[in-house]
Amino acid sequence: MSGDFSRRDLLHKAARGTVLATMAGGAGFLVKKANGQVVWQVDAARCLNSRLGEVGVAACNLCTTECVVSLSAVRAVNEHSRCGRCNICPAYFNITSAVDQRGLPSEKLCPRDAITRKPIGKADPEDPANNFYEYVIDEEKCDGCGKCVMQCKEPLGLGSIALKIRYNRCVDCNRCAISKACPKDALVRVKRMFA
Amino acid sequence: MSANTARTSACATWLFLLVTAAGLAQSIPYQRPVDTAPQEKSIGGGYRTPAVQKPLPRSSWLQLLDVGVLAAAMGISSWLVLKRRSRKALVALAIGSVAYFGFYREGCVCPIGSIQNVALALTDPRYSIPMVVTATFFLPLVMAVFVGRAFCGGVCALGAIQELVLLKPVKVPPRLDRALGLLKYAYLGLALFFVLKPAGGDFLICRFDPFVDFFRRTGPPHMLLIGGAFLLAGMFIGRPYCRYLCPYGGLLAWCTRLARRGVTITPNKELDCGLCVDACPYGAIEKMRAVRRNCLYCARCYAACPRDRKLVQLS
Amino acid sequence: MEYRQVAAIGGKGAGPGQFGASLRGIAVDAAGNVYAANDSQITLFDAGGRLRRRWSTSQPVHSVAVAGDGAVYTGQIHQIEIFDSAGTLIRTWRDDALLGRVTAIGFVDGDVLAGDATGRAIRRFDSSGKFRNNIGRDNPLNGLLIPNGVVDFGVDAHGIVHAANPGKHRVERYTPGGELLGHIGHFHGTDPAGFGGCCNPTNVAVRDRIYCTEKAGPRAKVYSFNGELEAVVASDVFGANCKNMSIAVDEHGRVYVADTVKLAIFVFEPVAI
Repeated sequence: MSGDFSRRDLLHKAARGTVLATMAGGAGFLVKKANGQVVWQVDAARCLNSRLGEVGVAACNLCTTECVVSLSAVRAVNEHSRCGRCNICPAYFNITSAVDQRGLPSEKLCPRDAITRKPIGKADPEDPANNFYEYVIDEEKCDGCGKCVMQCKEPLGLGSIALKIRYNRCVDCNRCAISKACPKDALVRVKRMFA
Repeated sequence: MSANTARTSACATWLFLLVTAAGLAQSIPYQRPVDTAPQEKSIGGGYRTPAVQKPLPRSSWLQLLDVGVLAAAMGISSWLVLKRRSRKALVALAIGSVAYFGFYREGCVCPIGSIQNVALALTDPRYSIPMVVTATFFLPLVMAVFVGRAFCGGVCALGAIQELVLLKPVKVPPRLDRALGLLKYAYLGLALFFVLKPAGGDFLICRFDPFVDFFRRTGPPHMLLIGGAFLLAGMFIGRPYCRYLCPYGGLLAWCTRLARRGVTITPNKELDCGLCVDACPYGAIEKMRAVRRNCLYCARCYAACPRDRKLVQLS
Repeated sequence: MEYRQVAAIGGKGAGPGQFGASLRGIAVDAAGNVYAANDSQITLFDAGGRLRRRWSTSQPVHSVAVAGDGAVYTGQIHQIEIFDSAGTLIRTWRDDALLGRVTAIGFVDGDVLAGDATGRAIRRFDSSGKFRNNIGRDNPLNGLLIPNGVVDFGVDAHGIVHAANPGKHRVERYTPGGELLGHIGHFHGTDPAGFGGCCNPTNVAVRDRIYCTEKAGPRAKVYSFNGELEAVVASDVFGANCKNMSIAVDEHGRVYVADTVKLAIFVFEPVAI
């Protein structure tokens, strides 16, 4: 570069400096303010499927249909410590279906067969009614349709199943498509916490 | 490169140290009046209540990697175009960007959309953005202040996909080109207006991104149609979204005015053959001189130049 | 057999004779007076449904029962408080280990039975409060399965304890010594003769028949001792979210059901068909 500082060069340098300084200032301000990621989550106290008081309505499956990811990022999750471990689980079985000889309903509720159960503790192989069962929802199969959540809700069940957004699948859109469609405004942003 | 990158890397290290304490996504407590479910002791038989799975978000390592890849790709892009002047290598970079930023990351977080996040974070005291988003917004702009729109050349996934479908460029008359170019700024204004609305941000740029649904392999039918239309038009009109609609392109164009380096046609070395003018699909060469703010770093001009590339100097 | 509703005692509110936040247990004595365990109080209504007396208990109360001598036993957490019919505290039985959440109290042969929901068992104490044995805890295999958190039972005239085992959709019969004799009831999703849902019946009372209540599709039903459904007392009148509705029967066969949502005691009378 030649040594003469033409006026144009000087103006250019000054302008560049100002712009960079402004950017640095802006970035600094944002970085200071930054306190981690904000993610979307389903508020179980507002969600139609898990909220107390909504009786006799069909399960809401907007979480399945609205999510931009091809298999929705929402899954039903069973909180084991709150699960009743019942033999006749209304979320596992379709309790209005016909009863077979063992005394269990013949049909399962989940349209994608995502819930499995196994007897736990002191198990009686003869009589299913004597046992506690652990219910696990397979996250590869579940699509968040909410049927099991609606059946597990009090008073029919104990409300241990809730719809949750799974962060390994959610792309964290600026404006979650489900949140726009949700009739109860149940999608909220929460700060990602570090344990 | 600049104070920004140094700061970003310092903050990144700090963040990484924080993160090694295992991130957990917060769940909203759902209160039930009485906890009556049978617990381990009650169930007996040696049963242990399994922990509820909590799949973690994308690890912070990988988010930092994204920023690193962005910076590296821009460095490579400017080196390939300005020093190596290789169109072939740039196409390879474009394919790589479509693969990484497009199909792998599914187009999110992109600097174009980050305009909205940054605008909201600057004005709304309750909203803040993570440092990787700040970095994603500022790095291409800083690059533009020094070497021009290296981001547009083969790094931006939306630009790269249009770059790859361009078959037979049709020249757009300069007056029309300039008029349509103003739409970028109108879109920028509109996007900012909507995101800053007090009734809660509406993120227009994300909603009307024509190409993200291809990257996600799913989307509403009307957006897929619009995306298809853009790609179809893009086969003949070079990169229509980039030149006429991209709001970030508007910002990059402003920053490029201050750039010292970039594509230049040296007056005493050029042959006046005009092959580069014909080759440039983006109207970035006018009257045998490079219009840097329109240059999208595609290196077609260098590929068309009959002179031995070694003789064309970078001024 | 059919029943019709004849009265609704109480209701939700702050007025005299109304219940504030919860209605967890009811009992009927020989004279037809109705005792309600609500919030932290015992409310006494006469046979006509008028408020007679109300007194406070030291803790929130979960169940109430009236002994043959007129003493009022109230089940709370880790303790049973015993009052006389005027509301004066006579005795308190405290037991942190054997009494958890006492959700039902009954009497057999001078002994006191307490349903402990925390331990999922019925504890038998003698009249001075000394522990004798458990009932229902060791039935094969896992005892009383109560995800609803309530143990309820009734004692018939022969001293047999009929305990609701909602997780198994049964009402089981035990001797006071704890031996399981048999059960009635089965699961059925649609047939009213069976118990529906996940865990029903929630509460049971016994006199000449077995009277029980269910949740989720709340209803009160009457079974004979060999398990035949004799009547559905009522279903539509209860609030849809009712759970653990306490039930009691008086000498005339009138059925009293505590609605836990509307906080009222509904009284039903059998009508001759």
